[in-house]
Order: sequence, then structure tokens, then C-alpha cells
Amino acid sequence: MVKKYLDIIKKNNKKINAILEINKDLKSGKGKLSGKAIAVKANINVLGMKTSCGSKVLEDYSAPYDATVISRIKDAGGVIIGNCNMDEFACGWSGETSAFGPAQNPSAPGYITGGSSSGSAAAVAAGFCDMALGSDTGGSIRNPASHCGVVGVKPTYGSVSRYGLIDLSMSLDQIGPLAKNVFDAALLLSVIQGKDENDSISEKSSGIDLDKVKKVPKNLTVGILDFRISDKNIQELIDRKVSDAVKAYGWKTKKIKIPNIGLAVATYYPLVYVEFFSGTRKLDGRRYGKKIEDAAGPEVLRRVLGGSEITKAEHAGRYYNLALKAKQMISEDFAKAFKGVDCIVSPVTPVLPHKIGAKISVEDMYNYDVLTIPYNLYGNCALSLPIGDINGIPVGMQIACDRFEDEKMLQIARAFEKL
Amino acid sequence: MDFLWHKVSEKEKETIKKQAKEIMDGFSKKLSKVGELKESFIERDECERDESDTAKGCEIDKRKMFENAPKKNKDFIIAERKSW
Repeated sequence: MVKKYLDIIKKNNKKINAILEINKDLKSGKGKLSGKAIAVKANINVLGMKTSCGSKVLEDYSAPYDATVISRIKDAGGVIIGNCNMDEFACGWSGETSAFGPAQNPSAPGYITGGSSSGSAAAVAAGFCDMALGSDTGGSIRNPASHCGVVGVKPTYGSVSRYGLIDLSMSLDQIGPLAKNVFDAALLLSVIQGKDENDSISEKSSGIDLDKVKKVPKNLTVGILDFRISDKNIQELIDRKVSDAVKAYGWKTKKIKIPNIGLAVATYYPLVYVEFFSGTRKLDGRRYGKKIEDAAGPEVLRRVLGGSEITKAEHAGRYYNLALKAKQMISEDFAKAFKGVDCIVSPVTPVLPHKIGAKISVEDMYNYDVLTIPYNLYGNCALSLPIGDINGIPVGMQIACDRFEDEKMLQIARAFEKL
Repeated sequence: MDFLWHKVSEKEKETIKKQAKEIMDGFSKKLSKVGELKESFIERDECERDESDTAKGCEIDKRKMFENAPKKNKDFIIAERKSW
């Protein structure tokens, strides 16, 4: 099976640009993932492979150890087939900020894959692997999964160890799976989740019962997020899918209003700028790589230089401290909302993907993740499920459940997938 | 503007810095109405990790760390530069 994938990669990767490096150590073992090929975003350490983060800064950096998620995959018999292209240091929404060129969208040629886990989503969509790992700070797994027509899961914050992940924003980052279908994503998540002593925020979770994921849940109330987006066609696809589920399974629906959701983007970026600036101080060109200020591209520099500026000005509590307060308000809104519904559905992105290289304002780009960011702020689980296409371009539906209800979320997604 | 990666000149860095500050000021303005909230603390029962194994170190880690260093002498990493 792995040989088959290697042949496909050899044939098509020049065009798709999803895989940056093929692993030389392709040993398979026995376990839940026996024989499965898994591609890994290039910000997750795989012993001996280049953890470049899609950047010239770390292009020669060879990982000295396996991240916890990688050790768990290897212990379960999985094969790490290669590492994937990505937005530089995960600073991007489209896959275009990679220093190694953007990955191409296999499901919609000429359009962006979405990001920042661009290569991971493209690798799954192009048939280069069974599953992939990405990381999601504000939508970086769900957004490319939506654009490439694959399943992408952001697990509950703290349920999957981040040990060995090169961080973008430590209070929001989460590693998660991308796969061709819900069951494969659930399978990979069941292997990588669980408490890890090497990650201080890691918590014990209840686990994923794969048999339960296959069963359609009964007596469900689906919350429909009350949020107006500019592309009506996307919302219509979501509404149709929910209506089909209501008819087929007898589920109920309820409109959900989140009072402070309009503050989510303004809350997210000050947190990311400051935490990214802090996290990149180690990239000073002494122990490894090049100095980040000398070798990074424009979006990374925007966050590093911006983070530096607002860190200096933080004594007045105008940025990070204010954002922390807003984060708490948004979290309280969601905690209350999830008391009345089993899940909340919405589009993943408010617009369809643009053509690679298209000109877009920074403000519009920063609003790209307006529907995914809120769940990173709350720290609950959310996923993107492919539900159809508009003129051949895949569209994903976001399904979110409360914190540590990952199993229920996968069960609901699987029921939607069956329709 | 497009978002494709390119090498950034010193002049562009200055523009980027100003732009980033403007974006953050815009967000700060939007958040300015956020009221005072109580500080919250999380108490954890298990807050210490067992580091007894790591004290021994790992030869592969050491070798890889050394290989990654851009400047080194025979058996040590050169960590200071003139500009530091």
C-alpha cells in the first residue's frame, strides 16, 4: 500500500507540491494503523526529517526527536510517509505564504488549497496517503479540508499532545487529523489523543469508541449558527444538508446566536501576534536555522514585527490583556449555547477559495477564518465535513461540539456523511 | 496585495511594521468596550512531571542538536556572535 502511494507521489507531486520530503524510514508495525500511510505537516517533529515549517529559516533543520503524536502513530503501526508543505510557520490562510511555493488544490486546480495545513489537505485529496496530520490555531485544519474536499478535525484543546509541534500560538494551537472520510479521521484521532506528561496543558480525555462513531445518534438538537455570510450559495448548501438530516433522522434544529462572535477576529490576532513573537525568540540563528527576521516572508514578519511593537506597548493593557478578556466573554457565550444544543453547524469559510496569487486586502484575508477562530478561542472541538460543491469547488460544513465531546462530534459527522 | 512568499527588503520591513501596528490598533479599538472581568485561576492536582528519565539525556538528541547548529567548533556550539 505504501509503495502505491510512493508511486502516486512520484508521479504527481511536482504538480501538486504537497509533499516537501519523503521519509526514508518507512517501517510499518502492528496495531490500529498497521499499513496506513500518514503524511505530516512540516511543523511537527519526525526524528531525522526536516521540520522546515515551510520556511527558509528552518529549511536545514533536522528534527532531533519524535513528537508525541508521531511516537503514538509509530507505536500503532502507522508509516510516516513524508512531511507536507504549509504556510510559513502556519502564518497564513491560503497555503500561499510557503517559502517553497503554494500547494495546488487537487480538487479545484488553480485555486488555493486553504491553509495553513495546505500540503496535508492536498496530500489527502491527491491520494498521496491514507491520512495526514495538520495543526489548527484559527482554522488551519478545517479551512484547507473544506477547500480540498476532505475531512479535517480540530480536536478539543488539550486532548492531543502538542509536544514536538513548533508553535504558532501556544494558547490556541492543536494538532489534528485530516482524512478521506470521518471514520479514518476518527481512527487517527483515537491513536494520537490522550494525556502526555510532556505537554503541560494536556488533559485526559474519554477516548474515541470507533464502534459508537458508526452509530447514528438519536434525539439530537442541531444548532444553526446565526451568522450572515456574503456567499448565499454556501449557506444554502449547509441548510439543505441539515434539512436532509432532520428528515432522515428526526433531529431538531435551533438557531444559535453568539452575542460576542463579532469580536472573535479582533480577539484572535493580538493573542497570535504576541505569542508568535514570544515563541520565535528562539529562532535567533545560533542553535539552528537562520534568524527569523532575516529569512522569513512578509506575513511572518508582519506577525513578528507587529508582535514586537504591541509587546512593547502592552504595559497599558491595550492589546493582549484586552484580548484575553474578550476571549473569556466569547468562551462564556459558547459554554451557554452548548447547554441547549448537541452541536452547532455553520460554513467553514465565508467565501469560496480564490485563485492562487489573487490580490486581496489584509483585512479581507484576516476575516477569512471568522467562522473557525471562535472555536479555537473557546477550545472546543470542531471539524470540516465535505458536503458538496459549487461549480466544482468543494464546500465544507463545520460541525462543532462542546469541549471533550470529540466522539459525539465524529458520530454526528458520520451520520451527515451517510446522507 | 497578493500573499505569495517573497524575500523582504529592509524598506518593506518598515512598511510591514507600520501596517501591523495599524491593524493591531484597529483591533484594540474594537475591543475597547470589553468590560472588566474577574481573573480566573485553574487549580491542577497533578502539576509536576517526572523528569527522572530525561536527566540521563539521549545520544540521538545530542547528535542531532549538534548537526543543526549553523556555527560550531569540534565539540561545542558557537552561540555568541558580534551582533548579539
